[in-house]
Amino acid sequence: MKQIDVATTASVPNRAGEAPRLSVSNVCKAFRIRKGASQPAALLQVLKSISFEVYNNEIVSLIGESGCGKTTLLRIIQGLIHHDSGTLLVEGQPVTGPGRDRGFVFQQPSLLPWRTAQENVEFGLELQRMSATDRAARARKLLQLVGLGDAAEQFPHQLSGGMQQRVGLARALAIEPALLLMDEPFSALDAQTREVLQKELLRIQAETHKTIVFVTHDLDEALYLSDRIIVLGARPGGVKEIIEVPFGSNRPELPLLRGDPRFQALRSRIWELISNRPTL
Amino acid sequence: MALTTEVDDAARETELEELGGSKAARKPYWLVRAISIVLILALWEVVGRQVSPLFMSYPSAIARAAVQLTASGELWGAFLSSMETLTLGFLLATIAGVLLGLLIGRYRYVDAATDWLVNALYSTPLVAITPLVVLWFGLGFSAKLFIVFILAIFPVLINTASGVRNVPSQLIDVGNAFAASEREIFAKVILPASLPYMMTGIRLGIGRAIIGMVVAEFFTAINGLGALIIKYGNQFETAAMFVPILCLMLMGVVYTAIAIRFEHWVAPWRHTEDE
Ligand SMILES: Nc1ncnc2c1ncn2[C@@H]1O[C@H](COP(=O)(O)OP(=O)(O)O)[C@@H](O)[C@H]1O
Ligand SMILES: [Mg+2]
Repeated sequence: MKQIDVATTASVPNRAGEAPRLSVSNVCKAFRIRKGASQPAALLQVLKSISFEVYNNEIVSLIGESGCGKTTLLRIIQGLIHHDSGTLLVEGQPVTGPGRDRGFVFQQPSLLPWRTAQENVEFGLELQRMSATDRAARARKLLQLVGLGDAAEQFPHQLSGGMQQRVGLARALAIEPALLLMDEPFSALDAQTREVLQKELLRIQAETHKTIVFVTHDLDEALYLSDRIIVLGARPGGVKEIIEVPFGSNRPELPLLRGDPRFQALRSRIWELISNRPTL
Repeated sequence: MALTTEVDDAARETELEELGGSKAARKPYWLVRAISIVLILALWEVVGRQVSPLFMSYPSAIARAAVQLTASGELWGAFLSSMETLTLGFLLATIAGVLLGLLIGRYRYVDAATDWLVNALYSTPLVAITPLVVLWFGLGFSAKLFIVFILAIFPVLINTASGVRNVPSQLIDVGNAFAASEREIFAKVILPASLPYMMTGIRLGIGRAIIGMVVAEFFTAINGLGALIIKYGNQFETAAMFVPILCLMLMGVVYTAIAIRFEHWVAPWRHTEDE
């Protein structure tokens, strides 16, 4: 986990000259869908000409209504779905399929139920052919990082939803990805657990300096976690606006942050962007 | 069946303890069960003694016959012969059933090519082909082996295939997201995820394997527990006839209990998930 500490530059909005970790340009995606077995396939345009960049050590949120294509976009970045047109570069390399330079945290924890927490974290490391002792050491360290040092031997069904998501995060972090992709990872949790995990994510990001693309439909979550927020419009999803979040790297906790007038202003701005239909 | 309930009781009790419940919550189910066993046996003894020994027997007479058959070595020989057929036939059925089930569950083309045949054969009461099998293989060991095999393979095969088909797509996604190869996904996701289904198929296969074994032994009537039943049936020694029957019952219970234990061991998460 050796990485140059660039925390001081995190809040600098002007990244001109720096190479982006992730570069998405003009990405389009349509699904072929059939309403009935006999009907001809129709095209559902989900993503329309999406462009944005994510820089080193940033947390960037993708926000938009349910069904606007956030998961689709994230899966395209992971290489799980092919896009129709446009370019995707991760550290300058075009995305052609899944790769272990990207880590994925799913909306549902999606742990392998026959593996202990530690064995789940070791999953990606096994695929990398890391030796058993190194794997165990790395997995232990990561479980400690996500606050589950004591739960290494527990099976997923013995863990709460929040703990399972922590294991999912550790599993993605274990392969030391250049880019961490998170698809509404806290949306299935109760409000209290969600707030705890949001705070934890900020701590973990501060410790690991990961670059994160975070999908959410929760305005507060996006504002609390992100350095920038990419607002996606409804079908077809295009980038409506990219918002710089001004709270810096040492931000107060969410309840306090809510009192900040800038928070309220940005919140209503994003809310307008999301809820307004595009004026054509 | 008794064993299943015991396991479930145990699971419920640990749950209660974890929630701070007291041991007083433990109900004396075992006592009820023991009383029930004693009562039924006693009733059988009393009623059985009233009936002509040609038609019915009773526990003490059966026990005496069992001692005799054991002492003469006849029961042990028959038991070994039956076990040989059952174990080998069932083992072969399990191996073939799992392999074919994996292929059928994973590859749609293999499924399309075979599903009609599998469904047709599974729906046929295959003991019906016993006379044909005897024609093919004669009255020896291989005929019995084949019948056990053909009866036991379908539950294993069908359950394995449905296990492979029912692997949650989320878990396959995990494999894909971590850039696992098809082989790695098969070994690290699909196989362990369908293991519980395989075990269920194996448990169901045992019951059918025992039926196949007995029917085949009835037909060939040379050795095995089935042959023993036919022999003492023909000699109107009803008490002696009950001994191999009870032996078969014991075999079924023991095998099923082992299979259930194995299922729990293989997939502990499956039995606590839904509580
Ligand atoms: N594999 C697919 N085939 C057809 N349509 C799909 C598929 N995946 C997603 N969609 C459709 O694309 C749209 C966007 O889905 P998704 O990316 O999951 O939205 P979000 O994550 O923003 O809620 C939805 O209308 C959904 O029905
Ligand atoms: Mg989604």
